[in-house]
Amino acid sequence: MALGTALSRPAQLDSCEWVLRGALLRRRAELRKSWRHFISSECLESLGSLAKEVESVLSGQDTFRDWRFAAAFTWMNCNASFIDCLGAIALGRDIGHRSSNTGPVGLSLVSFNKLASNQRSEILCDRYRCPLNIGLHAESDIAEELLRQLMVPDRAKLEAGAEFDVDMVMLKVNLVGVRAMITRDLRYLDALNYFYELPRRSLTRMRANPRFLASWLCIYAQLLSTPDW
Amino acid sequence: MRVAVVAGSIKTGIRIAKEMESLPGIDVLVVLCNAGKRSPLLRWSRELLSVLKSLKWWTLTRKACSYARQGRLIILHRPLDDAESIQRLRSLQCDVGLHAANVIYREPTISAFRLGILNAHIGILPKYRGRCVVEWSVLQGDPTGVTVFFIDSGIDTGRLIVLREFIPSSGWKRVGALKNMLFGCDARLYRKALGTLMQPEVPFETNDISKGQRYYVMSKMFIRVVNQVLLDNRV
Repeated sequence: MALGTALSRPAQLDSCEWVLRGALLRRRAELRKSWRHFISSECLESLGSLAKEVESVLSGQDTFRDWRFAAAFTWMNCNASFIDCLGAIALGRDIGHRSSNTGPVGLSLVSFNKLASNQRSEILCDRYRCPLNIGLHAESDIAEELLRQLMVPDRAKLEAGAEFDVDMVMLKVNLVGVRAMITRDLRYLDALNYFYELPRRSLTRMRANPRFLASWLCIYAQLLSTPDW
Repeated sequence: MRVAVVAGSIKTGIRIAKEMESLPGIDVLVVLCNAGKRSPLLRWSRELLSVLKSLKWWTLTRKACSYARQGRLIILHRPLDDAESIQRLRSLQCDVGLHAANVIYREPTISAFRLGILNAHIGILPKYRGRCVVEWSVLQGDPTGVTVFFIDSGIDTGRLIVLREFIPSSGWKRVGALKNMLFGCDARLYRKALGTLMQPEVPFETNDISKGQRYYVMSKMFIRVVNQVLLDNRV
């Protein structure tokens, strides 16, 4: 059989899309009830003025904002800090981005992986100050590497109950989630599914960074409500 | 052509070797490696248990003894990428290795075989590399099957594809059973691949990794979706 013929999508795809949609909505309903197991009341309090909005996104009706337009840009700049931009995206707010003619120079994955964890985190927060940039085609190699790190070494550490860098893992989970919003790549969504399904004892350690934890869950809620995967 | 089945257990090694025996011009060996780096007691207890659990345990034992007597059952005591193991593999002067162990190969191990090591990957390359590729193929409405290719030290990135066989998922209710069936096709497809390699001109296809993606372990939620899709499309 020729590869071209064999790889044409069979009729089962329609039924697959329905099954997938149903599963995502069921998970969304589950998240609406279970998110308080992830974010403790202390965590929520520490979010200050954001707490109410986070609660509203997670407990409220299905809402999502279509960020796919971002893929059409070359590079985007924002005035706000990385953490504020990420929070705004997670809550479905405007982030006041503007397009730029020039982006930063390419990031060498080899040098990036040689850096200490805190330096890697700094580089990512700086490069993706406007987090929507992780969804650009030009950033595919970095996004793939972040996904690989999450799903191979980080996953292995989490499953074994070993020590892991909470901030770095949460940063990666958030960036992977933002990429899923823009590219609609199911692998990126499934990384978030996977982290949601981790034993609660692993997840409670993530409370060490309440803002990242809240933004991850809000991004996940939006992804589950997204109709067209 | 001299071929070594690089196996994680006697049972697997003998099963694949038996299939190769029927191919004319093939001299087959079984290289047994300690994939899980287990202690000798644990390793051999598991082997014994696996043989005894087999329905054809007597035939299997006889075959294994016959291979051992002929010096065609080689047991590696050290890890596969250890210098001593690589030296032993080189000394066997094999043309091709057949992957049947749960190990990741490094370059020196691969180059111990004249042509390299073949892997029967239960997914269609170049599109589906990595883990859970059967699940991902079903989820994305793509055909399932097995690709036999020469490995390199990356994850399903080896450049030369020897053959690819599409095997439909229809009729299977659970993805676990579907995967077991696909895994079980390894011996037959290795035999077919060796047959191809013995032709004067081999029609290799290039595994162009830019045409595919790497996949990872699938979440429980998506596995449930895949099982539901299989159930819905069971004809």
